[in-house]
Amino acid sequence: MLLEKKLIEDLLDAGLSRGADFAEVFVEETDSTLLQSLSGRLEKANSSKLFGVGIRLAKKFQTVYGYTNSQNPADLLKLAEDLSKSFNDDKLTKRTPLMELEVGPRHNAEIKPQDVPLTEKVAYMKKAYKAASEYDEVIQQVIINLLDNTQNVLIANSEGRFVTETRYRVRITVGAVAAKDGVMQTGGVAPGSGKGYEYLFNEIDIEEYGKEAGRIAVTMLNAEECPSGVMPVVIHNGFGGVIFHEACGHPLEATSVAKNASVFCNKMGTKVASDILTAIDDGTLENRWGSANYDDEGYPQQRRVLIEKGILKSYMVDKINGRRMNAAPTGSSRRQNYKFAPTSRMSNTYIDNGESTFDEIIAATEYGLFAAKLGGGSVNPGNGDFNFAVMEGYMIRDGKIAEPVRGASLVGNGGNILYKIDMIANNLDSARGMCGSASGSIPADVGQPTLRVTGITVGGKRGA
Amino acid sequence: MLNIDKLFQVAKEKGIEDIQVFLSNSTNLSVEIFEGEVDKYEIADNSSLTVKGIFNGKMGVYSTEVMEDELIEEIVDTIIASAKVIDSLDDAIIYEGDEHYEEVEGLYNEELSQIDVTKKIEMLKELDGKFHNYDKRVKNVETSYTETINSILLQNSKGLKLHNKANASYIVGQVIVADDKDQRTGFDVKITNDFNDYNTDELVETITSNALNSLGAEPVPSNNYEIVFSGLSLATLFSAFQNVFSAQAVQKGISLLKGKLGETVGSELINIVDDPLMKKSASSRSFDDEGVATKFKYLVEKGTLKTYLHNLVTAKKDGVKSTGNGFGGGIRSVNLKVEPGTSSFEEIMASVKDGIYITNVQGAHAGANPVSGDFSLQAAGYYVVDGKIVSPVALITVAGNFLQMLKDVVMVGDEAKMTYYGITCPSVKVKSMMVSGK
Repeated sequence: MLLEKKLIEDLLDAGLSRGADFAEVFVEETDSTLLQSLSGRLEKANSSKLFGVGIRLAKKFQTVYGYTNSQNPADLLKLAEDLSKSFNDDKLTKRTPLMELEVGPRHNAEIKPQDVPLTEKVAYMKKAYKAASEYDEVIQQVIINLLDNTQNVLIANSEGRFVTETRYRVRITVGAVAAKDGVMQTGGVAPGSGKGYEYLFNEIDIEEYGKEAGRIAVTMLNAEECPSGVMPVVIHNGFGGVIFHEACGHPLEATSVAKNASVFCNKMGTKVASDILTAIDDGTLENRWGSANYDDEGYPQQRRVLIEKGILKSYMVDKINGRRMNAAPTGSSRRQNYKFAPTSRMSNTYIDNGESTFDEIIAATEYGLFAAKLGGGSVNPGNGDFNFAVMEGYMIRDGKIAEPVRGASLVGNGGNILYKIDMIANNLDSARGMCGSASGSIPADVGQPTLRVTGITVGGKRGA
Repeated sequence: MLNIDKLFQVAKEKGIEDIQVFLSNSTNLSVEIFEGEVDKYEIADNSSLTVKGIFNGKMGVYSTEVMEDELIEEIVDTIIASAKVIDSLDDAIIYEGDEHYEEVEGLYNEELSQIDVTKKIEMLKELDGKFHNYDKRVKNVETSYTETINSILLQNSKGLKLHNKANASYIVGQVIVADDKDQRTGFDVKITNDFNDYNTDELVETITSNALNSLGAEPVPSNNYEIVFSGLSLATLFSAFQNVFSAQAVQKGISLLKGKLGETVGSELINIVDDPLMKKSASSRSFDDEGVATKFKYLVEKGTLKTYLHNLVTAKKDGVKSTGNGFGGGIRSVNLKVEPGTSSFEEIMASVKDGIYITNVQGAHAGANPVSGDFSLQAAGYYVVDGKIVSPVALITVAGNFLQMLKDVVMVGDEAKMTYYGITCPSVKVKSMMVSGK
């Protein structure tokens, strides 16, 4: 156990002692390894251990949060008492006795990171390096990062919640740099999982991923600059889902909605997207990158249908923002680590399968951009304006995929892009991402089938 | 607290040649106001210890937030296991130290932490009120105050022992403004460790007027335009591309500045410096994380690339001295600054015939490729014709190449702004860039 039950009870009691109506203790111990190789040679082998306790108190909408990495009971009690002084009310809330400890039963690892010797991890990276560097002679550099993470959490609150779970993450990123005539382009892949090393060692073919990184870099090296202007854009499946994540997912988080700072405020039950669009945020998918048994408030993760056939069905709600919105929490509260108070965040978010096929969508597009791989992006939740980068793109001409183009970015507005999706394929796929927001950087899956947006602003270096 | 002497002793017994610890402690206070009330209040106390050790000529690293003596064996064993798998050709170096370290003035301001928290909350509430009263189109306001104290200790087995203590505070203000047709946001951050520097009227004026002026913003037709970058938007671009100055990136073949030392990489008007001893910057430091004394230097002087940023390893490889930029296991600038030029902002704007004044760029972490230098970024600002602002602009992208842009700079503003990226930039005018809009 990360902290004694008696101490946790004392911390919760101290937290409630001056009128707070809610107290929560979050304890975390996380071990991580980061290995980095350049040109096939291991340059970095860093191990780290994170430990800390976060205490959160609330009264109605007001929250106070404190954290420390002291394990000393006296320091922790002092922190709880200091925080409690923010409140001054004779009316005390009674603590519900802690229920029996619930240990998260799902999302386990067969091959735990701590049981894999560094030498095996390094040998695995060399395989990826070989595949990427041998793809083509113009590949000049290959950068590989292997990360693993074992997070043990204990979450308890004044309403009786008392849970623990162990969360595993493994991920390898392969970045290839191709260079010719003074021009450099990059290609990358980044498979990962909420499992142990069985995912990397047994379930994926790292050599195929390595070659893929090489292929993208070489394709982009030989690509022309992307033209600019408004045009139809076919966004491919998998990481293409970042469009929904940025443009619609963030504004559906209670963090924005509760403070009336989202374009989706007061839209529940109304039409916010084209009829063919259904979107889901599901934190329960087995061993997925953004899954967990419990959210970081200790409530079970859930499957949330956000939009069904164009109608807004659910926001993603955490406890405190839920109070402001008069809405029940949806098991969506997450945080990077104990250094952050939790708030509503996405988990594994995707647009569901439609009825078209990939071939039909391309064939139906006379002229436009095929965004095969997207990079990251960002959104302003206040007005829904978003942008994201195209890492691998092609022009579509006469219903066929034509020449590769590079340097494109897409900009648009989340409020209206959802209406402009006119075709959705049946090839749903997902990809791993790291999502940064108010409660830090967390693993989140994005996903979608291939889909078409009738018109979107494409920014490239070549004229219209 | 973990016993450092004991750690050094165990390391030596197990065959570690040299060892260094970097101990960091921060305390944090943060208050957020929403609709006139304290919405969030946060206090924190956090320590971490990073241990680097050389075994068989290779460096292993272990960081921990658990500081118990029982962990010493595990730290040393992990460092040895890590060093054993490293096959980098780079040297592993632990530094004996420099003779002299410059003092950075005013890094720690005792007065700031002694001001009672109620005074800080009062100021925030006042700020919140001023935002709301500024204009009835202000619909939503969030303000916060954050204060940190950070102390570090660097100690190694070559006898080096250095301390640093700094404090900083910053205020964030963000508003949403709306009329019956459009909704826009405004945002800025003021950073200082002198409480007297805060001017709530000025902050409200800058943030709100910019947001209100951008109501009704629309894309311009796609075309090449003259571009004026504000200090903030230029700093955003530099934040995406600052790694090109790292000798590590250059040596690994992933910087577009490779092989360009002594060559022209920008317009004659461009001067870029790293000023680690800059006053009123919380990141200022007299030594880097490797214990090397920091110094002021030109990276680009009158358009010519003068030096890369080095740590101990890259410097040894290139046969030069470290520039004191070894931070966090890699290389970064301390206070990157594009030096102001001679043109006033009014002169710059007056010179624009058909252009865009860009106040804000977004998505620099995704739409900018630090290896090729290509970028295509979401931008917002104002359409300028014959020296006059005509209309607000949003949802455009501005695309180009970082080096080409530096070469095409034709005017540099005479006032530089320290931004929340820790990068200080003036406004600049670029001859022409591709804008994608409607």
